[in-house]
Amino acid sequence: MITFRHAEIKLSETFSLSQISWQINDGQCWAITGPNGSGKSALVAALAGEGELRSGQRDLGEANVAVVSLEEQSRLIARERQRDDSDLTDEINEGTPVQEMLDETCQDFELQKRLIDDLGLQPLLERGFRKLSTGETRKVLLTRALTSKPQVLVLDEPFEGLDVATVPRVAALLEDIAGSTTLIMSLNRLDEMPDCTTHAMRLESGAMSQQFECSDGGQAARLLGQISQIRSDIQLPPPETDIEVPLNADGTLVALNKARVAYTDNLVFENLDWHIKPGDHWQVKGPNGSGKTCLLNLITGDHPQCYVNDISLFGFKRGQGESIWQIKQYLGFVSTGLHWDYRLSVSVRNVIVSGFHDSIGLYQKATDKEKALADAWLELLGLSDRATDSFSSLSYGEQRVVLIARAMVKHPPVLLLDEPCLGLDEANRQLVLSLTDRICEEGATTLIYVTHHDEDKIHAIGNVLDLGNR
Amino acid sequence: MANYFNSLTLREQLAQLGKCEFMDPSEFADEANYLKGKKLVIVGCGSQGLNQGLNLRDSGLDVSYTLRQSAIDEKRDSWKNATENGFTVGTYDELVPTADVVLNLTPDKQHTAVVTEIMPLMKKDSCLAYSHGFNIVEEGMQIREDITVIMVAPKCPGSEVREEYKRGFGVPTLIAVHENNDPRGEGLAIAKAYAAGTGGHRAGVLLSSFVAEVKSDLMGEQTILCGMLQTGSLLCYDKMIEKGIDAGYASKLVQYGWETVTEALKHGGVTNMMDRLSNPAKIRAFELAEELKDIMRPLYEKHMDDIMTGAFSSGMMEDWADDDKKLLGWRDETSGTAFETQENTSDEIAEQEYFDHGILMVAMVKAGVELAYEVMTASGIKEESAYYESLHETPLIANTIARKKLFEMNRTISDTAEYGCYLFNHACFPLLQDFMKKQDADVIGRGMGLNDNSVDNQRLIEVNADIRSHSVEAIGTTLRGYMGAMKRIV
Repeated sequence: MITFRHAEIKLSETFSLSQISWQINDGQCWAITGPNGSGKSALVAALAGEGELRSGQRDLGEANVAVVSLEEQSRLIARERQRDDSDLTDEINEGTPVQEMLDETCQDFELQKRLIDDLGLQPLLERGFRKLSTGETRKVLLTRALTSKPQVLVLDEPFEGLDVATVPRVAALLEDIAGSTTLIMSLNRLDEMPDCTTHAMRLESGAMSQQFECSDGGQAARLLGQISQIRSDIQLPPPETDIEVPLNADGTLVALNKARVAYTDNLVFENLDWHIKPGDHWQVKGPNGSGKTCLLNLITGDHPQCYVNDISLFGFKRGQGESIWQIKQYLGFVSTGLHWDYRLSVSVRNVIVSGFHDSIGLYQKATDKEKALADAWLELLGLSDRATDSFSSLSYGEQRVVLIARAMVKHPPVLLLDEPCLGLDEANRQLVLSLTDRICEEGATTLIYVTHHDEDKIHAIGNVLDLGNR
Repeated sequence: MANYFNSLTLREQLAQLGKCEFMDPSEFADEANYLKGKKLVIVGCGSQGLNQGLNLRDSGLDVSYTLRQSAIDEKRDSWKNATENGFTVGTYDELVPTADVVLNLTPDKQHTAVVTEIMPLMKKDSCLAYSHGFNIVEEGMQIREDITVIMVAPKCPGSEVREEYKRGFGVPTLIAVHENNDPRGEGLAIAKAYAAGTGGHRAGVLLSSFVAEVKSDLMGEQTILCGMLQTGSLLCYDKMIEKGIDAGYASKLVQYGWETVTEALKHGGVTNMMDRLSNPAKIRAFELAEELKDIMRPLYEKHMDDIMTGAFSSGMMEDWADDDKKLLGWRDETSGTAFETQENTSDEIAEQEYFDHGILMVAMVKAGVELAYEVMTASGIKEESAYYESLHETPLIANTIARKKLFEMNRTISDTAEYGCYLFNHACFPLLQDFMKKQDADVIGRGMGLNDNSVDNQRLIEVNADIRSHSVEAIGTTLRGYMGAMKRIV
């Protein structure tokens, strides 16, 4: 049993939970919802014993608690970086293999075997943990948590980043252990609420605004439900300057011919032809590990194998003496990888300004015009009052919308959004979809969009590249 | 091969030792263009080799890797790294003859063998780039007259070189042209373009010489960087045990203490490191450091003198010829010390506690940094070089001790640094015995435990003025400021 009584818990200099009164009995299944920045991750952290109890009570009991969260993921990646001694030995280090990561916390090797089959982890076992895609990393964390045989399992966004085929499998796994294991989940998407849900709560500004018992996930979703409207009134701030984009000789913006990405032990894809003309907006889909992020990184130049492929973009054939910055000037980009790389102490406003310079962090003084445009974007996001705060003080979802504004700020000729809605609440999701619709309508930007969610629809998209089915 | 430095006249020696200037960013307006269309071939695909190559290629340059036939046949890690990153990989015979610039990024000790092997294959009027000058200056390697010889040395680990580039920035970089080998006068243009290709021009480039780089590098690594930290670790640990401090705590305090206190050094020099102490502790650390400087000065001077005359490198090369007998013996000795074998406590030590309980460690860092810097600048080395090879590098080495203690530090630094480190330790450890007898746990392990932090105003003013007026602080503020002007805007 876990009990909070009128607890006030300080998680950081800028964020506290207050008036948390909450009793979790063995075998219950709780769903926590609330807007971005309301404290969902903070509450998860508080369950793991973090934060300073300023008043009230927090009794976490003696239970063995396992946590799957973005923070846990960050911690493991940071640990991998710490272990990496490439710089010291001058020998490149592949990092800890997945199998070793799984064994580290495993209490039940039968179950581990079953989960490896169920989640399709077999081909990944020898690979370095750091080299996995977003969805694959999630699957490894879930397997670690489930096989540690916890009495309490805390899942921050359990379905986030998983492909269409995996979501029901994970949902079924949760159904299996519900009742015998206490489950606590934070969820942004109400339609993903599992059937085994017995209790739900909603957070607002670090406090509980709603708490109730329910018969199943559907009922909980209805009781919590507040569907935001698509906003049609949005006006995007103008670009700083209009960008003249050169086209390839065949009239395309981007052309990949017989693209191939392979590692020594693994072929990601091959024989992929893809030609993107101005105004032809694309959705890219496919299962976890099918190479969606790899493909986008071939275009951004962040994947080193872009140099051994036949890629032309913006009139440059890659590998012919152009610099990466000549390519990036025509691109706007958001992905989980970029989000991870953006762990710097920079003000929220300057993160948006950095979009004009294609840099991570800002290395020259922002002009007045750049500042004014950044502020106009912040107003659109409802984050005006956070302009001078440190980017790292924002919640994950808030950081995400700021990075999306950074990608859009120059109205780039090509905008690549790799699962932009990951970690966003309902309202922010609708906002980002509306912004994306609008930038497509304006005509200067061609969109390449990756998502696992059919409901996150962008109206202008007329083309689909399905990496799972070519 | 004869020592190159010793073949120079005094005039030439002084001119080369005293070369180190911060280059104006306007000198890099042409970025990497001088090397566009030229063929760059990198020897060695470790952390520096791979990450520099990735940056150079992203700057629009033509980069490939050459490895020994055996590394390719056995698909060793170096082959895998280069191939998976989409680089052309070939043998020396295949690629070296095509290269306009060969970038030698192998470890120091292999330089003679590697350079001897590739030089005959290099095409006429090409360029050979080093990242360290030991092979040229101390071993006196003679490079063919038609070949341009330069040095480009990023002052950070390979992964940081890459990370900063991807962010749109870079790391501070030192460049040099070997005066004997600049037949067409293009050495500087190549070095500048190479530095710009790695992103270094965005964070500041220092123009130095092979001689200044080698002599200051050797001095730094064997005294303050590795030697002082090794001797300091052993003495501080033994003292705590003698005074009844828990062994697990003592081990942890020393292992992570260097990293924590030098992190303060990195951000704000000796001044900031000392300011992290309470006023009474600061005065105490200052006095300890003064005493340490008096005792150790002759030893630091001896190291500098042996480096200048070449006695150090010839002694070390004798050991190389003797199958590293001395080096291996000393390495064994280190792995068996009480500090090295003690397990750490699992209890947390708060960041501030490393300062409060590590007053003697702070004093040792202050004394070591200032002494190394003072002796270098008194020997004709410019302030900029002396700063980089003492204060700037100390946190990087401290980080290796935080990982796995002294064994790790000695495994990861170059063999040259490791040899020099043991040499220093063997002299310094006995030298400080009398000094250590006078010390108690209040300066190492327990803290001063004062109820009252009051100090004499005049004394505090004197001490602060002394710390702040040291020349390493002035040059440090200037150099960190140059970087700061271009640094990330928060």
